[in-house]
Amino acid sequence: MQTRRETDRKEMSPGMLAVLFSAPAVLIIAATILAPFLMAVFLSLHNWNLKRPGRERFIGLENYTDWLSDSDFWGPLQTTFSFAFLAVVVIVVIALLIALLLNEKFPGRGLLRALLLVPWAIPSVVNALLWKWLLNPQYGLLNAVFFELGIITEYQNVLGSMPSVMIWLVIAYSWIHIPLATLLLLSGLQTIPDDIYESAIVDGAGVGQRFLFITLPMLWPMLSIVIIFEMIFALKVFDIIFVLTAGGPADATNVLGWQIYTETFRKLDFGAGSSIAMLLGGITLALAIIFYVILDKGVER
Amino acid sequence: MKARAHVRLAIVYVAAAIVLVGTIGPFLWLVSSSFQYERQLLNRPPQWLPNPIVLDSYREIFEGAILGEASGVPYQSRIFLRSFANSFFVAGSVAAIAVLVGAYAAYPLARLHFRGRSVLLFGILASRLIPALSLAIPIVLVAKKIGMSDKIISLVFINLSFILPYVIWLLQSYFKSIPMELEDAGRIDGCSRLQVVHKIILPLSLPGLTSAGILAFLLTWGEFLFALLLSETPASYTSTVVVSLFATDVDVSFVSIITAGVISVIPPICFALVFQRFIISGLLSGSLKG
Repeated sequence: MQTRRETDRKEMSPGMLAVLFSAPAVLIIAATILAPFLMAVFLSLHNWNLKRPGRERFIGLENYTDWLSDSDFWGPLQTTFSFAFLAVVVIVVIALLIALLLNEKFPGRGLLRALLLVPWAIPSVVNALLWKWLLNPQYGLLNAVFFELGIITEYQNVLGSMPSVMIWLVIAYSWIHIPLATLLLLSGLQTIPDDIYESAIVDGAGVGQRFLFITLPMLWPMLSIVIIFEMIFALKVFDIIFVLTAGGPADATNVLGWQIYTETFRKLDFGAGSSIAMLLGGITLALAIIFYVILDKGVER
Repeated sequence: MKARAHVRLAIVYVAAAIVLVGTIGPFLWLVSSSFQYERQLLNRPPQWLPNPIVLDSYREIFEGAILGEASGVPYQSRIFLRSFANSFFVAGSVAAIAVLVGAYAAYPLARLHFRGRSVLLFGILASRLIPALSLAIPIVLVAKKIGMSDKIISLVFINLSFILPYVIWLLQSYFKSIPMELEDAGRIDGCSRLQVVHKIILPLSLPGLTSAGILAFLLTWGEFLFALLLSETPASYTSTVVVSLFATDVDVSFVSIITAGVISVIPPICFALVFQRFIISGLLSGSLKG
């Protein structure tokens, strides 16, 4: 008894231990996320252009009010929303269909599930390169396939015009995002007990009814998580734009992520860039909260 | 009844075939293209399988790396292997450090009762909500000022902080799944907290630590934004940056571009397929309940 108490006395309190153990991680995160975030807020309130050094000064919310009355904000915002909406719909619908398939028992299911990790593991930049190749106006495989099938009569430059550029951008983007959504939805499907389906079959419920009244409500919590995650990702799209379209043709794919990049790193206006980045962050957060509230209500109902 | 089962299986297999083609078809076409002659890529209808198997573009990348300018291959091909090594260094370092630092941070969050526990957990997770683009601006500014731009060590540091919240979340949920009795038994035998972590928690968490490490490696390998913004010379380019230099250059031959793409995804795809169980369990536990 005596020795036990002695070891206790030698030991640190849980709080002290927690501080020590988490200090390295917290310091790293504070140095590279918290500090830059505060600096970004600071920059966004300043006139700060690297092309005009020595003229940095505090201007309050002027950067923000400038953006809010500028079509260079509203245009890209609309493009970002269109892109995010289409991407989330495509990703969630296809992922749900694949998840339903993988929830069936059939030989080769495990292999198919494993192969889903191939697109998932491909970096977004390489994915952009891949689709640039598939969609090439002269040699692209998709042109060849559609041509051979008689769907098109001559090769198309789909990245050169609207609305095809947006459609293919969404497809290319979705291709590497579908696998994770599928795996998440599949894990949600697997928590639904079989006997619910069995008793529904006994009651004479068809496939459609079972999906609508059992699968969808029980999958809803997972489905809403996937929708919110994918929305947050899609709103900040950048990598694929950089390689595949560079915002073009004629601003057709100029999303806010790209606008921030050009404003900051091409025009070197760090103040304007920071403030529009803050606006994007704020919009994303607000939408995530709104969606969370709406989708969460869906769970209660 | 038997006929119905056959019909069901037939539908399932048709659907599975479509998913299979959609999942790996595009990538296989990239691989097939990389082994062809540039002029064969023009064939209509397309040449599905390489015949003969052409290794010129692969040879270009090795020759370019060894001979440099004398090899006469495009600039991007010459610097590609170096960037590939840089990617390995950055992703490998981030994975190792993130697991080590993350495990210590995750332990108290999973097992200790202390004031501010939920604040700490929330703060770590909330840091990931800030869009990377808005952080990139001050980070680039400061990195240039203090001479840390164009250094791969900066990339390790930056990626680490983006990966850490994820690793901590994953590990603390893994630690929680280890029975408390094992830890209590260790404590009764006179182990200190540190010994408990080293001798009981960490060895039992090997699958979770592996998941976290692999995910950290893969996510870092594919990172582009900071790799682009914090590099100025080939010395600090990662493979994603060189791939983007390839893909946005109209003067380089398609085969060279495609080959760079193929080589740069060999490590992540091999990792993903070899460690698929760890990855799937990591992805699921990491993004779900804690």
